[in-house]
Amino acid sequence: MLVANPQASAADAAVIAALRDGDEVAFTRLVDQHHAALRRIAGLYVSSSAVADEVVQETWLAVVRGVWAFQGRSSLRTWILRILINRAKTRGERESRTVPFADAGMTETAGAASSGAAGASLSPDLDGGHDLVSRRGSRLLDPKPSPEGAVLAREARAHLRAAIDALPVNQRTVITMRDLEGYSSEEVCNVLGLTETNQRVILHRARSGVRARVAAYFRENDDVVASRDELSRAGGRGLGVPRERA
Amino acid sequence: MSCRELADAVSAYLESELDPVERDRSDAHLRACQGCRLLVAQSQAVVAALRGLEDAPKGAIDTENEWAVALFHEHGLHRPARRSPGIPLGLDGALAAPGDHLAYFWESEQEFGATVGFVAAGAAQGETSVLLGHEGANDRIEAATNRAGIDTATLRREGRLHFVSGLRSADALLELVGAKIDLAVDRGAPLVRILGNLGWGRPEWPNEPDLLRFEARVTNEVRKLPVIVMCAYDVGHLAGGPVLLGGLECHPLIYRRGALRSNELYVPAEQFLGALPPASPIDQPRAARRRRRER
Repeated sequence: MLVANPQASAADAAVIAALRDGDEVAFTRLVDQHHAALRRIAGLYVSSSAVADEVVQETWLAVVRGVWAFQGRSSLRTWILRILINRAKTRGERESRTVPFADAGMTETAGAASSGAAGASLSPDLDGGHDLVSRRGSRLLDPKPSPEGAVLAREARAHLRAAIDALPVNQRTVITMRDLEGYSSEEVCNVLGLTETNQRVILHRARSGVRARVAAYFRENDDVVASRDELSRAGGRGLGVPRERA
Repeated sequence: MSCRELADAVSAYLESELDPVERDRSDAHLRACQGCRLLVAQSQAVVAALRGLEDAPKGAIDTENEWAVALFHEHGLHRPARRSPGIPLGLDGALAAPGDHLAYFWESEQEFGATVGFVAAGAAQGETSVLLGHEGANDRIEAATNRAGIDTATLRREGRLHFVSGLRSADALLELVGAKIDLAVDRGAPLVRILGNLGWGRPEWPNEPDLLRFEARVTNEVRKLPVIVMCAYDVGHLAGGPVLLGGLECHPLIYRRGALRSNELYVPAEQFLGALPPASPIDQPRAARRRRRER
């Protein structure tokens, strides 16, 4: 079951009214707000940034044309995203790089298909035990990187990016929207036509996939494996995970 | 709780989406299992790293403004004039603009079949189409669309192809078509194409004056919408009234002989509606009598 649309806010209504009035400043403000994110999301569906740019331009064109018909049953941002994804999917299908979302529910669609039949663990990387992240790895993934880590951070970024790119398109889209762009699960369900449960499963798979890939990279590239104590300290930090009682 | 169960729940755990019982079970497991604490830490670190990933490439967007301003004023429907046509109509390379309402006169089956191009062009662009016609026409167009290699079952399932047929009042027809347009735009369709094959003289359809009112009103209704309406007129079978009044006087544009042209005979809706006899209460019983006779 789909969750209800988050309705357009009063602020949205003001923007819509301004656009209908021909207020170009309102439009450029809207473009500034969303353009970069739209470009990144379009990039998930199509193969080149030039095509992604076209998709985004076509999206703005549709916004400009559609604003008189838009009834505000969803937020403006959700509506713009729907247009973008509709357009990007059409382009992506033409480039045949995309997997239809309808098939992406509880069954694996690509990549991990070999990891097991239905009912298998959602985290194939955990077979036989836990991942151990290296000391270097845990530092790179630290939300507050250390000063000497700029170069390493760039490298880590590249690997995170590669890990996301390696995901099937549905996982790539959900993780990008949720974790990179900060959309709510409600918005993502709305825009992609997913149920809450499906969205959660896809997000979980995506995160597991990224974590597994990143961990594998750091294992490969670093011979220092932190002691379990150290890791457990990293594990306790700021997680709200209860520490063992001393 | 096993490590595997915990691993499956880790995203939900981090999002605080677990119910209290599951949350407690997870916490209990985490207290006892160092490895899973590490897993949770890693997962959280990955999410945190992802959240930081897109912070870098901001800015440089102001350069888009000039382009955005031009796009806004060139294509925005706030301007009263017809937009410059840039949308493939799907017929011989003709270009249409959003808000267009055009008539398509046809005589041969081949000409009728060519209207599939209108639907096909929309399907290729991720647009939504509405077949607003009597069942005979809608069925033939759907079959021809499939023959053209476009799977209408998929389009229907994706909500990108709708069928509207046989409603008895023009108001109800306008309302239903309006609802389809709203829904399609809401779902992110960049444009909605409406292919009309109105049921002139057919029992389940509005009577002739009512259909004329419908045609006249459509022009104004869609003027500011991302909609193109193409009404097909079967000149070999329709009476002169619908062809002259409905086809020639209600459409600002006509597609004929490979080109879309503005129509000198178009009568603005207010003037057209003013000259129509008022909707007569007699029309309805008369139509009902005719329907009974036809059965």
